[in-house]
Amino acid sequence: MSTVSSARPAGALYWPVQARRNIGVRSLFVVVLAFLIAYGVLFPGLFTASGFAKFTQSWFPLALVAMAQAILMLTGGISLAIGATVSLGAVIAATTMAGPLGVAGGAAAVALTGLGIGAATGFIVVRLRLPAIVVTLAGSFIIGGAALLILPRPGGAIPEWLSDLLAGDTPAAFVLLVAIVLLWKLYLATPLGLSLYAAGENPVGAYRSGVPVDGARVAAYAISGLLSTGAGLFVAAQTGSGDPVIGAAFTLNSIAAAVLGGIGFLGGQGTMRGALAGSLLLSLMISVMFFLGFTPVAQYVAQGLIIIGAVAIPQFRKVQQ
Amino acid sequence: MAPLLAARGVSKAFFGNPVLRDVSIALRPGRVHALLGENGAGKSTLINLLSGALRPDGGTIEVDGREVSRMTPVHARQAGIAVVQQELSLTASLSIAENIGLGAYPKRFGLVDYRELAARAKAACELVGLHEPLSTPVGQLPLGRRQMVEIAKALYRKPRVLILDEPTSSLSATETKILTDLLERLRGEGIAILYISHRLNEVMTLCQHVTVLKDGTCTADQSLEGTDAAGLVRLMVGRDPGDLFPQWRPSASPATAISVRNFSAGLMHDVDLDIRTGEVLGIGGLVGQGQEDLLLGLYGAIPARTASATVNGASGLPGGVPKANALGLAYVPADRKREGLHLIHTITTNMMLPAFARLPALKLRSRRAERETARGLAAQLGIKGDLARQAQALSGGNQQKVALAKWMPHDPLVLLLNDPTRGVDVETKREIYLMLRAFAAAGKAVVLLSSDTPELVHLCERVAVVRDGRIAAMLDRAALSEEAIVSAAMGAENRKVAA
Repeated sequence: MSTVSSARPAGALYWPVQARRNIGVRSLFVVVLAFLIAYGVLFPGLFTASGFAKFTQSWFPLALVAMAQAILMLTGGISLAIGATVSLGAVIAATTMAGPLGVAGGAAAVALTGLGIGAATGFIVVRLRLPAIVVTLAGSFIIGGAALLILPRPGGAIPEWLSDLLAGDTPAAFVLLVAIVLLWKLYLATPLGLSLYAAGENPVGAYRSGVPVDGARVAAYAISGLLSTGAGLFVAAQTGSGDPVIGAAFTLNSIAAAVLGGIGFLGGQGTMRGALAGSLLLSLMISVMFFLGFTPVAQYVAQGLIIIGAVAIPQFRKVQQ
Repeated sequence: MAPLLAARGVSKAFFGNPVLRDVSIALRPGRVHALLGENGAGKSTLINLLSGALRPDGGTIEVDGREVSRMTPVHARQAGIAVVQQELSLTASLSIAENIGLGAYPKRFGLVDYRELAARAKAACELVGLHEPLSTPVGQLPLGRRQMVEIAKALYRKPRVLILDEPTSSLSATETKILTDLLERLRGEGIAILYISHRLNEVMTLCQHVTVLKDGTCTADQSLEGTDAAGLVRLMVGRDPGDLFPQWRPSASPATAISVRNFSAGLMHDVDLDIRTGEVLGIGGLVGQGQEDLLLGLYGAIPARTASATVNGASGLPGGVPKANALGLAYVPADRKREGLHLIHTITTNMMLPAFARLPALKLRSRRAERETARGLAAQLGIKGDLARQAQALSGGNQQKVALAKWMPHDPLVLLLNDPTRGVDVETKREIYLMLRAFAAAGKAVVLLSSDTPELVHLCERVAVVRDGRIAAMLDRAALSEEAIVSAAMGAENRKVAA
């Protein structure tokens, strides 16, 4: 590995860097693959077009919120408002898209809300130097309250064609996810995106090196908000209407997925591909246990044990070294 | 030729405590300028002023002979000033190249131009002899290599002024050689270099000019020609002790309180040490050579190994803090705010803390008895004010007295003190010195780790000077002098730069 990349001309740097980042998540990829095979055996329908579509659709919102959480954890922050933001996104989509704004206008409203909420949260955390966990806890009440104000009980509507496109027998969710991941790769190849790691792990060193640390962090919060309301839009399309509390479970699941994916709490540790694999693993675990006939209660217990195990194993390795 | 970067009569104080007073320094092209001084002399503060990380209270910073009114890190970078700090500024999860370019990436269509970055980072790496693949995450490199990445990062920015703060402290002999050759070459290219190091041999071979700081003032600004290591040491030490220190009276007895052979803990290894009852044993040396690990290892607060040990008659190391306390050891940490005291709790509670550990776990506390004891201790150590106040309301000196006082009721046989007078006012220093000598006269063993050399000279029976995790010299009372301690700490008397 090392001999290969040192023998290459200096020009080829991007791909060796990317390859190095896979090293930390290799074992996770193996586990995900094992679960994927188990799932395919238990549910051969996965390999049909509609089975694949259904599976990616069930994974899609979790993948988005896992990314939303991972970005913040990379900056050394965290968000407890992800679930509420998902709900708000769903509610705005359901109240605007069938109205005069239309689908495009509604989507724009959802996106702007996400960016705005994220940027505002980030600004408060970064500029006022308040702990992210407290600001986002308070934010979750405000954002959740706003969702309930807009739509006190489940209602609204999503145009049927959009629901069919996103949540019908099409691979649209998968295509969208690929597009989002590519956009993320693009962002990470910009100076601001790459600075995220430095700003999260060693903010003083990054500042002295001339990195706009505050800007990188606020941008991360804005992107995180955008991903969260986007997940809300998708959930609304899945159900065909808006529900002001539908996102609640996503807050903790997003943290679980990111942690499973090897994102550290101290900032700058982990990769987005890890967080995505973590969300896929979480999604698969839930499905596999469902097919194995676990009761919901047993599912939760097993899920918790697996997460603790996933975090503990690298620790044991470190102690042994 | 005009200096590229200069400070004229700068002063800086932190919380009313002057760190630099009227200091001037001029960095000229094609010259390696050494900045010397003991720990706390103000070297780091001066660097921070020159690089815009701090702003002077008085005096001016000049770039190319022109005064810069508000210097910031951004201005400094634009003016071509690069600093290699002591604490590294690297990100472990990013690759070597991504770290080198951080904050100054070449761009193409708004994206990082990895091709260009690779070429420029490779050029910088070759200068410092880094041959690892550029894609290697910095977290996988040993400390010395990281230091080289840090230097490559400074070179990547093509500086006109290069400031290096103890760059060789984590480098191997080969890496040091590469660095000194490189600096020679950069000097030839007309770069101004400011070089801070505690290794006098390096300074003697590499630098042409020296500025010496002592207690925040400039004591020398001269050419290095015709100066030897002993002369440099003389410039750094020496202070009028006045009547700060108590009258010296020998009090050591031949009995040993602690004796260890082949002791290792943390950075310290292969230490043979006998601590006698009734003596003040000084532990000196540059900061971070392992002195603290010696104290913590004896105290059982970090894992330690030893071939044989006797501690107050018991054989073997205590191995844990409660056991160490039971054997009559007490430790007063250097960092009062985090380790020594519980700042938001009352002075009384702080004083009672070691007592709580000794009481049966479920016994009810007697507030009255606690108040009585605390009052007694306060009177004994001269701690003024209401004992029901929070410990953070006290001045640094009084906080230190509380940290000492809490051990007194247990009548420790051995006191392990980690820099007890750091950040303490002169009056309290005097009181603490009196106390230490009184403890020794009462037959206790006092181990005094100190970064203040005069303190070691005037208070101690013997001083163990630590360098690179070993006791480099054990100086007896007759041989004690500031020059002797500083020379031993810097290894000035022997060794040439390893080539």
